[in-house]
Amino acid sequence: MSGRVAITGMGIISSIGTSVEESFNALIHNKPGITAIENIQTIHANAIKVGEIKKTNTEMEQELGLDADNNYSRTAMLGVLAAKQAVQNAGINNINEYNTGIISATSVGGMDMTEKFFYDYFDKEESRKYIDSHDAGDSTHKIAEQLGLKGMVTTISTACSSAANAIMLGARLIKAGKLDRVIVGGTDALSKFTINGFKTLMILSDTYNTPFDNNRKGLNLGEAAAFLVLESDEVVKKQNKKVLAYLSGYGNANDAYHQTASSENGEGAYLAMEKAFKVSGLKPQDIDYINAHGTATPNNDLSEGRALIRTFGTNVPHFSSTKPFTGHTLAAAAAIEAVFSVLALQHNKVFPNLNYKTKMEEFDLVPQTVLMEKEINHVLSNSFGFGGNCSTLLFSKS
Amino acid sequence: MTGKQYISGYCSIENNTVKLNGQEIFNVPDAAFAEFAKQLYRDMETDYPKFFKMDNLSKLSFLAAELLLKDGDNENTALLFANASSSLDTDVKFNDSISDKDNYFPSPAVFVYTLPNICLGEISIKHKLYTENSFFIFDTFNPEFFANYAAVLLNTDKAAKVLCGWVEFLNDEYRAFVYLVSVNGTIEHTPQNIQTLYLS
Repeated sequence: MSGRVAITGMGIISSIGTSVEESFNALIHNKPGITAIENIQTIHANAIKVGEIKKTNTEMEQELGLDADNNYSRTAMLGVLAAKQAVQNAGINNINEYNTGIISATSVGGMDMTEKFFYDYFDKEESRKYIDSHDAGDSTHKIAEQLGLKGMVTTISTACSSAANAIMLGARLIKAGKLDRVIVGGTDALSKFTINGFKTLMILSDTYNTPFDNNRKGLNLGEAAAFLVLESDEVVKKQNKKVLAYLSGYGNANDAYHQTASSENGEGAYLAMEKAFKVSGLKPQDIDYINAHGTATPNNDLSEGRALIRTFGTNVPHFSSTKPFTGHTLAAAAAIEAVFSVLALQHNKVFPNLNYKTKMEEFDLVPQTVLMEKEINHVLSNSFGFGGNCSTLLFSKS
Repeated sequence: MTGKQYISGYCSIENNTVKLNGQEIFNVPDAAFAEFAKQLYRDMETDYPKFFKMDNLSKLSFLAAELLLKDGDNENTALLFANASSSLDTDVKFNDSISDKDNYFPSPAVFVYTLPNICLGEISIKHKLYTENSFFIFDTFNPEFFANYAAVLLNTDKAAKVLCGWVEFLNDEYRAFVYLVSVNGTIEHTPQNIQTLYLS
């Protein structure tokens, strides 16, 4: 395994924008996308806030030019919109010109349609088309179909670290010479399934989420999709292509602590960061900005904070969680935060950790709370999933 | 490193009988699995109360792993497990708890076991294994797969040892065949030898 992994394109849709440019503008002008929920009828509507994309399914069907009898879930449509942007941004005209794959992450898959039509399946034949789009892999195959991609298609679902693991798998396939080019990222739509599930776990905030704040009350769920185009050094050279940034390191580790919760000492997170440094050859002191997982749940921020201190000692670099902007977009989180990490490198900016007021009593960590300009050469991005599935990605300037 | 690998220990649990390296070491005639598992747990003098919260598949896997990992140095031991019925035994139980609208009691404590790889989590938590782990579903026991996959893990230095397991549990029918692969031992880790031990 050798060679660098270049990022040559990116696409994104989230509650703060439907393109890379819109997202960047929202991040530098303090414009979060957290609102009341509109597209889903739920009894929790008054008790939660969400990072919702203000497009209805019908609007997206029209935008994508889908037939009336299509069976696209919202997850698939968001994924197609973001993946098409990424491919266009990478200047790819013939997707199958090189050996190209797609690895997409999702946690809900077609659950949004299943929960809508589940009780109709017996009586109403016209709704049964959505049975086929329930499984997680269907959304990825739909994206591949829309891109005309004939290569490898696979789907990863490891809760909130899913997209980081999709990006990691893509990078490893390129390094191993199995693929020349791969579209990696994730997509997750809001659904009652996740709203009710997280509500039951009592980790949804009833107001705006406040990562790394002593009085944090939990997370806001969000929906999003984002994809990166990764290409091998060789393919980049052949096409004389512009490189946006390099994916310089990655690591995944488990926590060996609990079936769902993260360990209090952040063992898995610490190991994931350590592995990413080993892959990249970088040292903790090389990192200029950390895009933290920072979900604003009591468990995550304590565990992640302790892991940061274990990794960086007293010199923790400027860090922020961008989840006050987008909400926690679950399987898409690491993908949208990969896009934000590349934007941080390109524009030399540390994005603010909004809503922060009070330092946590357990340690001295204070996130960057206002937009900051500084020379940024290396960004570390964390994503941790239920079950102690911990992943770290490292991005470096091109 | 592409040297030979060996099966350094193996065990089976079926029909209320435990065999370790071919020798019968424990037996409880005429008991349901729950009772048999409890007695085996006590016999092994394992002090791990979380055991009692596990579902059947995790209990079976945990006990078999315990027999092989109990006294060893398990650092960097990967887990490679498979079966044919996934977590169906618990899936059905969970479904029963939510299928009646008037008697609707979904329990997170049951739900968490509706994935087969949770048994790997239980073993990892007990033995503090921060290592590679994967759970696969096959129609039948597949010795070629175990031989190849374990060899790759060892040859690429992803692990120093690999605990391989076929753990099947469905409707009171169960069988565990678990073995440890490393660079030391006398039985070479070949598909034929794996199959022979599985059938023994």
